[in-house]
Amino acid sequence: MRHRTILEYRDYRYLKLAVFIVLAVIFAYGWYKYPLGHYGGTPLGYTLGTIGALLILWLMWLGVQKRRYRTTGDIKGWLSAHIYLGTSLVIIATLHAAFQVGWNVHTLAYVLMMVVIASGFYGVYTYLRFPTLMTENLAEDTLESLTLKIADIDREARRLALGMSDEVNRAVLASIQETRIGGGVYAQLRENVSNCPTTTAVKLIKSLAAKVKGDEARKHQDLYGMMLRKQRLVARARTDIRYKAIMDIWLFFHVPLSVALLVALTAHIVAVFFYW
Amino acid sequence: MKTKLATITRNKKGQPVSTEQTVVAETLRIGRGADCKLHLSDPRIALFHAEIICGVDEISYIEARGGAISIDGSLERAATLKVGQRILIGPFELFVLPAQKDANLALSVELIDPLKDDVEEVKSHVKAGLKSTWLSKRTFSWAAAAAVFLVFLAWPVISAFDSGHGKQMAKMGLAADASWDVGPLSSAHASFGSNCSSCHQQPFVHVTNGACEECHKKIGWHFALDTKEAKTLHTGVFGDTRCSECHRDHKGPMGLVRSDSPLCTDCHQNLKSRHPQTGVADVAEFTKDHPPFKVSMLLPGKTGAAAIVRIAQDDKKRFVEASGLKFPHDVHLNPKGIRGPSGNAQMECKNCHVPDETSTRFKPVTMGEHCQSCHSLEFEPKSTTRQVPHGKIADVIATVQEHYAQIALTDAPIDVVLEDGIKRPGQRVGESKREAALAWANTKAEKITQELFEVRVCFECHEIKRGDGATAVDPATRWQIAPIAVTQHWLPKARFPHSRHSTYKCSSCHDVAGSKTSANIAIPDIKNCRECHGGNVTSKDKAPGTCETCHGFHTGSPKSGVPAIVPGGNQPKLLPKAAAANTYHAALLTPNSTGGAPQ
Repeated sequence: MRHRTILEYRDYRYLKLAVFIVLAVIFAYGWYKYPLGHYGGTPLGYTLGTIGALLILWLMWLGVQKRRYRTTGDIKGWLSAHIYLGTSLVIIATLHAAFQVGWNVHTLAYVLMMVVIASGFYGVYTYLRFPTLMTENLAEDTLESLTLKIADIDREARRLALGMSDEVNRAVLASIQETRIGGGVYAQLRENVSNCPTTTAVKLIKSLAAKVKGDEARKHQDLYGMMLRKQRLVARARTDIRYKAIMDIWLFFHVPLSVALLVALTAHIVAVFFYW
Repeated sequence: MKTKLATITRNKKGQPVSTEQTVVAETLRIGRGADCKLHLSDPRIALFHAEIICGVDEISYIEARGGAISIDGSLERAATLKVGQRILIGPFELFVLPAQKDANLALSVELIDPLKDDVEEVKSHVKAGLKSTWLSKRTFSWAAAAAVFLVFLAWPVISAFDSGHGKQMAKMGLAADASWDVGPLSSAHASFGSNCSSCHQQPFVHVTNGACEECHKKIGWHFALDTKEAKTLHTGVFGDTRCSECHRDHKGPMGLVRSDSPLCTDCHQNLKSRHPQTGVADVAEFTKDHPPFKVSMLLPGKTGAAAIVRIAQDDKKRFVEASGLKFPHDVHLNPKGIRGPSGNAQMECKNCHVPDETSTRFKPVTMGEHCQSCHSLEFEPKSTTRQVPHGKIADVIATVQEHYAQIALTDAPIDVVLEDGIKRPGQRVGESKREAALAWANTKAEKITQELFEVRVCFECHEIKRGDGATAVDPATRWQIAPIAVTQHWLPKARFPHSRHSTYKCSSCHDVAGSKTSANIAIPDIKNCRECHGGNVTSKDKAPGTCETCHGFHTGSPKSGVPAIVPGGNQPKLLPKAAAANTYHAALLTPNSTGGAPQ
């Protein structure tokens, strides 16, 4: 059976629910006539605002649930509902605001919500795309096993290089001691690592191998093979880290902005009723 | 040279264990290479790293070759070896030991900085997961939440309660609650600026009517609350309706007045359900069931509320004006022109109907300004340009009598044929003849006066009857001039700004070209309005036609319906109480028995 994504959960149960809610809200907006036109303070506006605020609270509660690892029900179901009902907020909140925006806390809450939703869309994209890529990259390995394989090569290469020229020995040592896998935020996210000591060593050994003969040439060939294998292992390890970082980075926006949204939403509601 | 080497290793307890050997060679080569007598197998050592040479004077010295060496903490290319010296070669530490009798040199060698385990080495360079970086959801969340809380919640709330701080910040252009503003104020309230408490006087409480009435002191409700019944009805219909339910601010400069039809038609499409005694017709839609217009016409010779009569436009019998004046529009607007003081003239509406100060309606037409240039009051144009006064009958009679008496009693030449024996040109009238002369003058004046009131001049425009006082002592009672009642405001319950319809010709609405009498009322009917104005629902090819387009809501106001309508202003507070309910009518009335334009 084909793997079903969170979007397809239980035959799109939450997509159907979200579509129903959105259509109902759009219909209500079109049908409802208020003498002063649409805005957040009409009976329909208050209703949509209440629905939107409760949805936001519920969607954030899901985040808390996930952190506690004590889920009430199926985590996939929660996530599917989170995605679809979160998306329905775009329509609910826009019609609640009746397309009115300004430089105020009300629009701040709206914009924060939209950014949170947009970051969530990115999150869905990564969840759909990157697990496959990660599996393709790692195959039967893990980051741990890649590390061990690299260490094995390092050991062999170091021994072999001891008996070779200082230039080769230095390059191999640099590859062992200075090859960084992952690192800071940018280092984890970037695709190409410039000045990688392993790449430098591979290039150097390749160029030197052509200049020597006999036993030395064989040593160079052996070392070159080792370093090339290491280079590939390092690249796969880096790619694995990069994919994980891409899959995680949006949450560093999604979660804090959600919290900011919760406060802005509170300020929005207090402001409206403070100056009723 | 002969060198004693003590290789130091450490046991599990960390104690040094020395392994000694003697190396004999010409020079002591140090390095990773197989040919080095001091063979240091470590990738950090060069193949041929350094060399110790014993000189002819038995003094040994060291020289760097393929790698760097450190002597007692400083990098050197070469140095003479002395006992106790500490030499660092890569990860190896060499000490120069005291000389031994059968050797040129004694050294201890220890690997003090061994390589890490390969797995440890690789792992120390792998840093995976964003959690291992400076990124932190918790820190970001707290920071963002705190920023939003402080700027958009705490600060505005504190400012609202500490008005001193709030005002001070507002002066600096940093109104804390500016971020709470839901939209621009109406133009009328724009001057409140950031002073939210002008209207929002209590937190979490709706804006009260009291807050509005602090400024809008004179605004009235939907009808005058001058009777107990009116007050009961008002309470029943409007209850505790708040001003802001219709007048919603923060909707932009134009957004304060509610102008939708349901505001009115909710009640007015079936008014009897609210007020069974009402005489007001039901209406749901301007284009469909709005009743014919009712004009408010002044009745001549009446005062107060009795001077107003309301006549529906479809009531053909009563839809007739009785102004007391004769005025055929067709004669005055004859396309061939009309005889004027300077010859033939083509008159236009605007010659008499001059817009008022606001261009909403028109200034009253007056004899002096609009009629008299053509309709001169000269009574003897052959002999004088003198005119009778436009006023009381007695003054007219007196003016004419004075004129002829003067002619008779002075020697001013006259061009009338005189009776023989009374007066000759150039002669003075003798005393004996004066009574006869006065008698002539009276007779002449009588004849001319009668002409004025019954044939020409006054009779030209006024309805005049012979009075029953023809024989009385007071000659003014001999004629009765019909009282004048020129209605100034025919539709006072609606507003019709002429200025906003100025691109249309007058005749588009007022069909007077064929009007032969002043009895015709030239107020257009509802069909005329419907040609351009649509109904409750906005139409593509029609101008708006909601109730609010023509009618106001606050008709119970002392000023309702009248602002800028009656020229010269009106002061309803001066009116008698009885007329207050119909203030727009009463405002038209001038208690003047001869009628005339309202002042």
